[in-house]
Parts: sequence; structure tokens; C-alpha cells
Amino acid sequence: MVHITINGKVVKAAEGEMLLTVLKREGIDIPALCHHEAIEPTGNCRLCMVEISRAEWEGWKKHVTSCLYPVEDGLIVNTHTPEVIEIRKTIIDLQLANCPDSDVIQKMAEEYGIYKTSYETVPEGDNCIMCYACTRICEVLGKSAISAVMRGHKKVIAPPFGEEPPDCIGCLACAQICPTNVIPWTDTDSTRTIWKKTFDLITCTSCGKAVITKDFAEYLMAQRQIPKEYFETCDECKRMATARKMGEIVTKAQEAAL
Amino acid sequence: MTRQDLTKLTAIFDHYPTDAGSLIGVLQDIQREFHYLPREAMTKTAETLGVPLSKVYSVATFYNAFSLTPRGDTIVRVCKGTACHIKGADLLLDQLESGLGIKPGETTEDMKYTLEVVNCVGACAMAPVMIVNNKYHGNVACNRALKLVKKD
Ligand code: FES
Repeated sequence: MVHITINGKVVKAAEGEMLLTVLKREGIDIPALCHHEAIEPTGNCRLCMVEISRAEWEGWKKHVTSCLYPVEDGLIVNTHTPEVIEIRKTIIDLQLANCPDSDVIQKMAEEYGIYKTSYETVPEGDNCIMCYACTRICEVLGKSAISAVMRGHKKVIAPPFGEEPPDCIGCLACAQICPTNVIPWTDTDSTRTIWKKTFDLITCTSCGKAVITKDFAEYLMAQRQIPKEYFETCDECKRMATARKMGEIVTKAQEAAL
Repeated sequence: MTRQDLTKLTAIFDHYPTDAGSLIGVLQDIQREFHYLPREAMTKTAETLGVPLSKVYSVATFYNAFSLTPRGDTIVRVCKGTACHIKGADLLLDQLESGLGIKPGETTEDMKYTLEVVNCVGACAMAPVMIVNNKYHGNVACNRALKLVKKD
């Protein structure tokens, strides 16, 4: 256990915990786009900058990305000094130039009083902030179906050769983790298409709604030993079935008590 | 890939430990051997080293040293770094473009020549610099450029 001071208040935290996690737990609003519990932090979006110092630094301070900074005893953190806000504004301003059409970034910018970027906007921008959350989550899942392709301003996240990614299982993790919602996918009653690859969907045996792609189910069965029956019904129907069973048990118990 | 190509590929793989750390080395050797990275070679590299194909493709597209399209037997690079630019690299390039009938990044149909533009090659003192198959030519006069290329 370590003690750190956040905006003047002493707070307890676990050794080695990332600063952003502690700040969030304390209910402090820090903008962060590339951070997610499911993946290792990489500090790509730079939005979670805060100011740190220590008593023995004699007034010296520095700015760090809180998502990547492990807390240590005696750390003094300030999250909303004029400098920090200025830095954050610059980053948001740049992100806005990069993603002029992203409602997520627009909203964030508005909160910081930015309504129009002061930089030149990226022509034909795709609203991707290159945070790699999608490629990282895909890697965590053990698939690595997509990656960064090319470099510099030409860099995009794409499947190899720009074709159907052979390793993709249609789990949608990339689309769902994307902070600016730029990975498109479509579902029909029985198929799902993402990264130009179309998957068959398993439909719920009781209500007919789509549950999961066949490939993803097979992957989970093999890797996580999840039984096949688990994928035969959707979450809602599973919940209903459990409720019904509970009801039966209760009625039976009541009858027995009579 | 022909059987011969596959043998070459296996020979390259045999040189390296089969892990992710060998990726760049293997790709460099493939590039050297085939003058580009054939798609099948990339897939085989992924399988052999146990690296996801997406990673191989990512590395292959990141470095300028790798080419994804077949290149000619003679690779002509024109430096367009600051010094060469000032000393007329543009004129030099113009000459080569019209002489070979291709634009930078392209290869002649007979697969003989590939033209490329590079940034500073660290030989500014002899600007403008042209590199033909790794041989450096300095102070290249425009009217001499094409001859130097064809001679090689
Ligand atoms: S959340 Fe820390 S850099 Fe993106």
C-alpha cells in the first residue's frame, strides 16, 4: 500500500497500480481515449497527462501520461493545473484536426471550450486516432488479425494485404473497443461482415436472434473449453430460462412447506 | 512460387532461430534474394516463425527497405535530400524518368530497371548523388545519368 497526494488530498493506492486507475477510482475526470482495462496501457493518445512531483523535488515537477505511470509512495499529483489544462487542450485540438467528424472528440473538445480546431484538418481523415486499442485487443484474444500498415501519415489499421483477414473470427472486439467508433461492421439475420469478411452467425434456438459467429464460438470452445450448448441460446433467453427454473424451485419449496 | 524459390526460402529460414526475433532478418534476406517480398514468402515466414501474418505485413510495409512489388534487376536511386535537391536532383530525376519511361517507384516492363527516390544518403559532399545497384555516383551531370545507368 502506498500513499499519494491527489489535488491536495491523501489517497491510498496499491503499489504498482497505474495512476489513471487511481484517479478514476477517486472520481476525477481525466480524458483518456486509448486506455482500457482489457489491454496493457501504451500511452498513445496522450490525453491523460497530469502533473507529478515529490516533496524532495523542491518544487520541480513534470508531466506524465497517467495511464502509464505506476504510483509510488509520496507522489504528489495535480490533475487540473493551468499547465495541464493547456497541454490537454493542445492535444484535444490536434485530435480534432485529425478527426473532425468524430462526435466523441467533438464532445471532448467542447468540454474544454474548443469548437473548432486551430490546426489544418486532415483531408479525408477516417477519425482513427491510431491508439492501437483494436490491434491490442485482437492480440490479447490471441488472433492478431489486424495491424498497422504503412507508416507516417499513410499509416492505417488494416488486415494483411487489405483483404479478408484469415485470422479474424468476427468477434467484434476491435469495433467495440474503438474509442472513436470507426471500425464498421454489419449484421444480417444470419451473417456478420467485418473487415470485408463475412461470417455465419449462430442463431438462438428459442428466439432466433443472432448469438455469435460460428468461428468465434468454435474458438471459445477450443480455447476456453466453453461447452457447445452455451452458444445455442442468446443471453436474454438464457436469463429467461434461469428465471423460470428459479421460479420452479421456489414454487416447489413453497409447496413442500405447506 | 517455383520449387527453386521454395528451396531458397527454406535455406533462408534455416539460417535463423524460429521465433519472432528473426522476422526482420528473414525479410531482409528474402528481399535480397528476390528483390522484393513475394506474398507467399510472407505467408511462409509467418507460419515458420510463428508470427501472425498481420505482424509480418505490418513490418513489411513499415520499412522502406522492403518492397511488396517485384523490382527490376537494376535499382536506380536518386537522392533528393537537401543538398542534392539544391544541386539539381530534380533535373537528374527528369532525365531518368523520361529516359527509362517510368516514374519513381515504378519498374520498367522488361523488369530491367526500377527508379526510386531516396532521402539523404549521407554523401552530400558529392551532390547530386545517384546510386545504381548500391554503387554510388557523385556529381552526376544530367546528361551522363542515363549512360551511367545503362552501363551498369
Ligand atoms: S489514456 Fe493515457 S495516453 Fe491514452
